[in-house]
Amino acid sequence: MAQEFKMPDIGEGLTEGEIGKWLVEEGQAIKENDPLVEVLTEKVNVEIPSPYAGTVLELLAAEGDVVEVGTSIVVIGEKGEKGKKSKGKSKGKAKEEEPPVEEKPPEEEKEDKEAKAEEESAGEPAPSGKILATPAVRKLARELDIELQGVKGTGPRGRIIEVDVRAFAEGAPPAKAEVVEEAPVEEAPPEEAPPEEAPVEEVPAEEPPVEPLPVVEAGPAPPEELIERMKVRGIRRTISERMLQSKNTAAHFTYVEEVDVTALVSLRKRVKAWAEERGVRLTYLPFILKALVAALKENPTLNATVDWENEEVLIKRYYNIGVATATDAGLLAPVVKDVDQKSILTVAREVDALSEKARAGKLTLEDVHDPTFTVTSLGVIGGVLATPIIHHPQLAILGVHKIAKRPMVQDGQVVIREMMNVSVSFDHRIIDGHVGAAFTQSLVRYLEDPGVLLLHLLEAEGNGP
Amino acid sequence: MARKVKAVVIGAGPGGYVAAIRLGQLGIETLLVERDRLGGECLNYGCIPSKALISVGNLVRKVQQAERMGVKIKGLDVDVKKLQTWKQGVVDRLVKGVERLTQAAGAEVLYGEATFESRSRLKVTSKDAEEWVEPQDVIIATGSEAIPLKGLDWDGKQVLFAKEALELPKLPASMTVIGGGITGLEVGTMYAKLGTQVVVVELLDQLLPGLSKDLVSVVERSLKRLGVPFYLKSRATKLKKTKEGLTLEVETPKGKESLKSEVLLISAGRRPRLGGLAIEKTGVEQDETGFIRVNRRMETNVRGIYAIGDVVGVPFLAHKASKEGIVAAEVIAGLPSEADYRAMPAAIFTDPEIATVGLSEDGAKAEGIPIQVGKFPFLASGRALTAGEANGFVKVIAEEDTGLVLGVEIVGPHASDLISEAALAIEMGAVAEDIALTVHPHPTLPESLMGAAEDVEGRAIHLPKK
Repeated sequence: MAQEFKMPDIGEGLTEGEIGKWLVEEGQAIKENDPLVEVLTEKVNVEIPSPYAGTVLELLAAEGDVVEVGTSIVVIGEKGEKGKKSKGKSKGKAKEEEPPVEEKPPEEEKEDKEAKAEEESAGEPAPSGKILATPAVRKLARELDIELQGVKGTGPRGRIIEVDVRAFAEGAPPAKAEVVEEAPVEEAPPEEAPPEEAPVEEVPAEEPPVEPLPVVEAGPAPPEELIERMKVRGIRRTISERMLQSKNTAAHFTYVEEVDVTALVSLRKRVKAWAEERGVRLTYLPFILKALVAALKENPTLNATVDWENEEVLIKRYYNIGVATATDAGLLAPVVKDVDQKSILTVAREVDALSEKARAGKLTLEDVHDPTFTVTSLGVIGGVLATPIIHHPQLAILGVHKIAKRPMVQDGQVVIREMMNVSVSFDHRIIDGHVGAAFTQSLVRYLEDPGVLLLHLLEAEGNGP
Repeated sequence: MARKVKAVVIGAGPGGYVAAIRLGQLGIETLLVERDRLGGECLNYGCIPSKALISVGNLVRKVQQAERMGVKIKGLDVDVKKLQTWKQGVVDRLVKGVERLTQAAGAEVLYGEATFESRSRLKVTSKDAEEWVEPQDVIIATGSEAIPLKGLDWDGKQVLFAKEALELPKLPASMTVIGGGITGLEVGTMYAKLGTQVVVVELLDQLLPGLSKDLVSVVERSLKRLGVPFYLKSRATKLKKTKEGLTLEVETPKGKESLKSEVLLISAGRRPRLGGLAIEKTGVEQDETGFIRVNRRMETNVRGIYAIGDVVGVPFLAHKASKEGIVAAEVIAGLPSEADYRAMPAAIFTDPEIATVGLSEDGAKAEGIPIQVGKFPFLASGRALTAGEANGFVKVIAEEDTGLVLGVEIVGPHASDLISEAALAIEMGAVAEDIALTVHPHPTLPESLMGAAEDVEGRAIHLPKK
């Protein structure tokens, strides 16, 4: 049965998105969750996985098309089938990309045949494909935004009854779930495991248990007023996907170093007023970005992205630095372009303008486009070290902690110094430990001695175009 | 100056007016545009008037057959004029009711013909005014219309669609019905009972195409008893109109026939009614036959445009339109509504009546679903026999392993009233045993459903052992 996939609702308030790049071709066979299309929106670029398995029958939108949310963009079905036929209801709690429109799916005719086909993927439907639930329970499921396919029925003959739906909504494992039988140990990567199968992760994959796990009984649900529900939507959803993708692909290791920024602190103190006269609120970040670029120039493999499909590392000769910025909607990383070619004051201005835009939710596509490296501020509040997650497909991320006075030993004396820690995560698939260490030490040197940084900047200027 | 409203519903049939009332209930400012009369085709020209006349046809037939029960009536006569007045009274009363309900729900009715000027702008043309409306959401509920046949040109006097056939001022002496589908047989049977000589011509190899053969054969036998001949696999080729009447040339498998009649009823299918709507201005997607494509939320491909009822395709059922109207209204209001019904019941007012819900026996077999079937004939029903209407049967189609009720087919007395219990059973996910174990009062017709459910497991009390 051919299914039309519609432009999903990617972010809050977004009504359209640009087809950035098709990751599949017509006629190509795909599995569920295979990357389907890269969609560019004002705020983020998202790679959207396919909610269906099958053959790509027809691409309904071209790259560069701006498509409204809810418009069909691709037809997926069985090989040889015609495109653009009927719309099937897609299923599965785990497929978060599924647009709301699809969830209350398009079906024109409620043909039993279709209903049957679509329900065959269900947990344990009747042989005819029917999921047993009364109309009132089905309505409740819609209201709670739950797909009945994933819900285990505890009523007579496996009927899904009201308490099953409510328990599912609260994330409780369904009463009497037969966990073992359903464990998709080999097939599904853990992130695909629907919530109700969570206990599966405790089962060692190599040795399937001989005996079934004990029956899980759901305890009494806590009163509803003690729970606040927060939907994972929009940017948050994108972040969760990105982070998971990074964690699941990159081999993270994190290198932490302390930096004596006493000289930088005093320098900033001295020039702050000067910058203010020029309308710039000078923070440490522009210095850090400049020092970072200097260190990247010395360690070019870090200013890069990885393309696993072609097994290539794309080393960038331009320096677009993403600056992670907390917003109400979630973490965004607007990009300061060509940091190497801009003065510290210009960088400061741009950082300021971008974070303002990010917080106001007004970032444009251009503002988040093509970062080569990302910096995240980890510690205004505190913290000694962190393990930042790389902004996939980049190869490293720099986390900077807060600056604080600490006692240090210098020339056999304990002295008070302005200290800052940096936590840098690398993708060990490409970046070995010594490369990461060399980069970090180079960065430390530029940060500790603004004079060296100055010389580097002058040198760069002298050699500039 | 275009008027801005939240929602416009185009067409006030059983889909449109229900949508408008639901929108009103949900506090959404709604304009219901109707070019003719509230209630649409069903209430004014279809279901309701035909049922009024069919009731009378059944009454006449019953009286005629009552002699064996000891009832003798002399001088039975039908005053068609009076019958029409009564029928119109029923219709008018229902239309009034719709008017009051619409008003009470806060929906405004605008009489006129709606035309899209763009996807978000409509012109409404009434007799003496033009008005422009810019709604946020539109529900297209314009219904369907009878398909005319080439060479058998409709004139509304001799060559009729069902609408005119239900408004005849006098009983026609004879009538040829082209199309042995639901409408053709309902109207044809009714006239046959009132005394008209009726002949049916059907292109396909069975009457009521699409329905299970065993259901249809009960109706066919009944037509024969009524003296209604029907020609299957037959095609009307030529029509001659004279003052005395019509002569229709028909090609049958056995050769050419020439059928004379006073009137001709064309009931050869329906098509979406989109004339004047300029739907092409909206970009709304239609299928090859012009029906509007929608999803389960009744959304078209164009945001803010919904379609419900006949205009989205078969089955052409008022209650389907109403359900879809409610869904569309609720979706507009932001509720998580969808047409998620498991089965759509259908009632056909032939003699005897046919009613179905869910999967048919043939349908299940065609899909390769393993089933068990239970059947209970009305001949074994005390109530059917005491009412003198014991033709037909109830059939329960259940899933083989689980007994889950997948479908029920009924042909027989009051089938249309009996099917709702079956629809509820399917929606509730009942198994045949659930129906069998539910006590049904005696002596009533619904006992037959219980009997058929028992028969699924071969343990019907009132059937001989298989």
